[in-house]
Amino acid sequence: MIIDINFVGLIIASIMASAVPLILASCGELITERSGVLNLGVEGMMIIGAISGFALMTVTGSLIVAVFGAMLAGVLISTIFAFLTQTLITNHVATGLALTIFGIGISAMIGKNFVGIPGKEFPVLFESLKDTIPLISPILFGHSIVFYFAFALPFMTNYFLKKTKIGLIVRAVGDSPESASNQGINVRLVRYACILYGGAMSGLAGAYLSMIYTPQWIENMTGGRGWIALALVVFSTWNPIKILIGAMIFGGLTIIQFHMQAIGVRIPVQFLTALPYIVTIIVLVVISRDSRKIRLSTPSSLGKSFHKDN
Amino acid sequence: MNTNLKISNVTKIYPGCVANDNVSLEFNSGKIYALLGENGAGKSTLVKILSGVIIPDEGKIYLNENNLNLKSPSDAKKNDIGMVFQHFNLFETLSVFENLIIDSDEQRESLREKIDLIMKKYNFPIDLDIPVLNLSAGQKQKVEIIRCLIRNPKVLIMDEPTSVLTEQETSELFLSLKKFSEEGILIIYITHKLKEVMQLCDEVAVMRRGKLVSVSEIKNENIESLANKMVGQNLKTIKKKKAKTSSDQLIKITNLNFTSEDPFETNLMDINFSVNRGECLGIAGISGNGQSELFQVLSGEIISEKKSIEFNNNYIGDLNPQERREYLMAFSPEDRLEQAAIPQMKIFENVALNNFKSSNFFNNGLINENKIKEHSKKIISDFNVNTDNIELKSQFLSGGNLQKLIIGRELITSPDLLICFNPTWGLDVGAINYIHETLIKINEQNKSIILISTDTDELLKLSDKISVIHKGKLSKIMNAEEVTSEKLGILMGGAN
Repeated sequence: MIIDINFVGLIIASIMASAVPLILASCGELITERSGVLNLGVEGMMIIGAISGFALMTVTGSLIVAVFGAMLAGVLISTIFAFLTQTLITNHVATGLALTIFGIGISAMIGKNFVGIPGKEFPVLFESLKDTIPLISPILFGHSIVFYFAFALPFMTNYFLKKTKIGLIVRAVGDSPESASNQGINVRLVRYACILYGGAMSGLAGAYLSMIYTPQWIENMTGGRGWIALALVVFSTWNPIKILIGAMIFGGLTIIQFHMQAIGVRIPVQFLTALPYIVTIIVLVVISRDSRKIRLSTPSSLGKSFHKDN
Repeated sequence: MNTNLKISNVTKIYPGCVANDNVSLEFNSGKIYALLGENGAGKSTLVKILSGVIIPDEGKIYLNENNLNLKSPSDAKKNDIGMVFQHFNLFETLSVFENLIIDSDEQRESLREKIDLIMKKYNFPIDLDIPVLNLSAGQKQKVEIIRCLIRNPKVLIMDEPTSVLTEQETSELFLSLKKFSEEGILIIYITHKLKEVMQLCDEVAVMRRGKLVSVSEIKNENIESLANKMVGQNLKTIKKKKAKTSSDQLIKITNLNFTSEDPFETNLMDINFSVNRGECLGIAGISGNGQSELFQVLSGEIISEKKSIEFNNNYIGDLNPQERREYLMAFSPEDRLEQAAIPQMKIFENVALNNFKSSNFFNNGLINENKIKEHSKKIISDFNVNTDNIELKSQFLSGGNLQKLIIGRELITSPDLLICFNPTWGLDVGAINYIHETLIKINEQNKSIILISTDTDELLKLSDKISVIHKGKLSKIMNAEEVTSEKLGILMGGAN
């Protein structure tokens, strides 16, 4: 049997494309969690980003406005979360869950008028290079700018956390907000910023889904990707590079099981659909099982409210 | 240059408690000042005000005649006031260097050079690139001190710095502090340990219940006079009558090992000891050397091999705490609010918690509230717990009262062995005395105690035999009369 080498390249590229929203949302949530805040509202922020991006694109016709608008929408909705958990000191878990429910509801409401409207074509970069090298070219070239940004993001996140001073402050706040506060670090400000950043990335992830990946609005179109992004953060033990690996495995298995279903492999569909979830978690657990490293990279104050008393 | 620090009429009121009541004090560089007081006397509040962590309701702070309007810790830093907190303000998962650079504006290389210089000058050898959680308590404190020294402070405040140190580390610390003082840094030393004040300081200010009681020079004071000022009454000293040691063995630990997966925990290696009836075995050591693991293994929170623990001629190594209690063991863990009691539950509910089986608190799965309440009232009066409301949530009891309640709860079944871990940690002198008296009484009733403690004085006072735990290994067991605190200090530091 001869396998078309370019076809393999295209499959890999499609796997990468399906990993993009997971990488974006996970890397955002990773920063939030590294500062000690557990935001379970990723799914809600993503779907808000998705409808905002799509709606703005349809209404204004400008892709740039739409993309940045979606990020802004993520920021706005995460501001609610930040205000509740950081200023009013509510419980992170309950507030995050409420955010997701709120996001799904409000996106469905706004989205009513946008169902069935076709999306716009999103410009891709380096399209002319797409046929130059077999296998490699389809993987590397001809993607949207968001795609390239997503694959650079884990490395930038890693650099930010390990090498920059602000990254150090974020880790310090997540390790011990009390100590940080006594050192004169404004814990609330840092956590607000991290929550808002997480919101922006989730919003972008949502916009990628509704504007680039499947350019249309379907109610509930994030389909649990926000939850997968959350799981990736935990199972990667707060390591951006492992998020990249996890997202690729998840994306890969999702694509492959589609193809398997299409070819008619005699494995129950339910099992195939569940496969990406199971395998991703198993792989991440196996590569992250060093308990010492887990201890060192887990934000000690994760999910705990910090209240400075005077 | 001379540094003058003045606290002028500082008042800080919390709901239901005046933490600082119109306190005025003056300090000059070249001297080491002690701020002495019991827990809750207000000394920590005062130094937190000096370091900008707490903003006072009234009063002013002057440094060299300048009114410092301290609104945050960074204000204090900017004004050259450095503070080493009692509970370290370090980020455990970050490296030493990351901990130091986080609040510094300097470049990495120049900061590294500066730190190296400080470490050489004061002989603080610390690896800058390992995570802080791998350091000993003494090393962590040095990191805190370096963090202050980087900023060339005029004032250095040390809040109860020796509570986690060995004798040797304490004397090293004192040498460093004297050196800093000679170099012109004004040192304020907060403690409730009288011996240290006499050893180190030049002047002493005593606080009691938020008020400044006295300011005097050390040469005019002695330990008794300071103790009476601190407590506000004459303290009776308690002493243990050395009983004839019986040879009737109660508990025997043989080749006990525990290996942990958690990098924060210490592995226990080849633990062997035995305790006779009526005896108190003290286990000394710097915190974090395996005490909490040892306590958990002894209490059954961690299950070990069946034959490694023999109690009253039964092998009980594989039993859980509840089952061990049925063999008449009792436990008083270190953390009163996290391990010993449930803070949100009422006093009488907490009393019922460790007596699921061996009492008549429960009938056919139903709670017999009257019995429990009756019983709780008895504990409260027998053990001098200062409340008459057994419906009170345990979190509202002071540390001393809660500890009395816990010890009372454990002793009501009249156990053969009480295992306690830092039973007087953080308590005031009155409560400590009461707990010590109780423990001595237990021994007099021919019951045994295993006392795991980081307080050397306490161990020397109460124990018949003493062993030292270091990095999860026990030293040989010594008769308490042959042991001095210096000798314990050496063993605690890991030497032979």
